[in-house]
Amino acid sequence: MEFVIPFVLAGLAVLLAWVAPGLMARQKRFRRAPRAALVAWQAVSVGGILAALAAAPAALPLLLDGDDPIMQAELVVLALLVSTAVLARLLWAGHRVGTRLRRIRSDHRELVDIIATHDRDRVRILQHPTPTAYCIPGRQSRVVLSQGVLDALPEDQLDAVVAHEDAHLRSRHDLLLEFFTVVHEAVPRPLPSDAALFEVRLLVEALADRAAVRRSGELATARALLTLAGSRAPEAALGAGTTAPVRLRLLADGPPPTVLSATAYAWATLAFTLPLILLVLAWT
Amino acid sequence: MPHSTSAPRLGDLERVVMEHLWEAATAAGAGFGGATVREVHDRFSGEREIAYTTIMTVLDRLAKKDLVTRERDGRAWRYFPADTREALTAQTMRRTLDDMEVTDRRAALLHFLDGATSDELDDLKAALAEIESRAGSRRRP
Ligand SMILES: [Zn+2]
Repeated sequence: MEFVIPFVLAGLAVLLAWVAPGLMARQKRFRRAPRAALVAWQAVSVGGILAALAAAPAALPLLLDGDDPIMQAELVVLALLVSTAVLARLLWAGHRVGTRLRRIRSDHRELVDIIATHDRDRVRILQHPTPTAYCIPGRQSRVVLSQGVLDALPEDQLDAVVAHEDAHLRSRHDLLLEFFTVVHEAVPRPLPSDAALFEVRLLVEALADRAAVRRSGELATARALLTLAGSRAPEAALGAGTTAPVRLRLLADGPPPTVLSATAYAWATLAFTLPLILLVLAWT
Repeated sequence: MPHSTSAPRLGDLERVVMEHLWEAATAAGAGFGGATVREVHDRFSGEREIAYTTIMTVLDRLAKKDLVTRERDGRAWRYFPADTREALTAQTMRRTLDDMEVTDRRAALLHFLDGATSDELDDLKAALAEIESRAGSRRRP
């Protein structure tokens, strides 16, 4: 029975790294439970990594039955090499992505600090008529608003926008996005698919929208979304598809049925613990 | 003592020095002849204690960021704002909005919204109407 475990783990790694993200990106109803859905996405990514790391070591108890000590040592080294290669690929992607993002953020922050007017604390106002709002995450985070957004939105809607950005910064959504960008880059793909990354990004936005609803109400949040969506030129919104319609639809649909969150959490637990259980089984 | 100045303080000075250059350029009009480190230093002496070498560092950093250009004037440099504040702001706005289309850079800055196409706007309005009627009925039970 034990001899199948390494293959199951390898299969699980493939399943969690390639198959599951595609399937999950299609399960759009889980967007109504963004927090639980994001936990599930993380669990699947981490589970896939664990399975890939554990597959070779799980094969060792089977292969080490022989009497030849040199052969045994070689097998241990080989198994370690396979796991190390997986880990190295991840760390290398993490280093590349992290360096790149930190660079973009600090360059942009320094520029904005010079050209924008300083509002309270970490808020910067760009003197420009195009309505826009975004945040620069990191240790010295900023919320950047344009004069255009201040002019376009009444106070309660502006409050919703700032609450949304504050939620990104407070909950460190940047780390979540960074993690998924690293996984996206580390996992070799026959066809690079942005569907998973798009879905995660959307969930992060939906989560920040809820913070905005808590502070300013769903009406102000929804109106802010519509005002800002309408003010951007359509050609700027081509590309991968926009999140605005989905997010407003989510606001209109209201809070999710409990069963959705429960399903997402159950799936998360399974994806995360299965590789660990299999590894333990292989060694006992 | 440039070595003891921390990055946030330098950032703060970069803004102050840049603002000074913009003001000087605006005041002088088309004939703005730039400013030397000495002139910038003199401008701030009195109101805040900034070392001469710190001003040098700040202008050097601004030049590396392409926010100022410089011309040789004897043994000194004369510094000019590379562009007006308005032009830089417009350029920055355009770039950050363009960057939203680049997968790689989308994780760097988190935008409130990525825009909508004109088709999508109708869906958006329908969803808003739903929320509005719900809020309305809640107010008038
Ligand atoms: Zn956002």
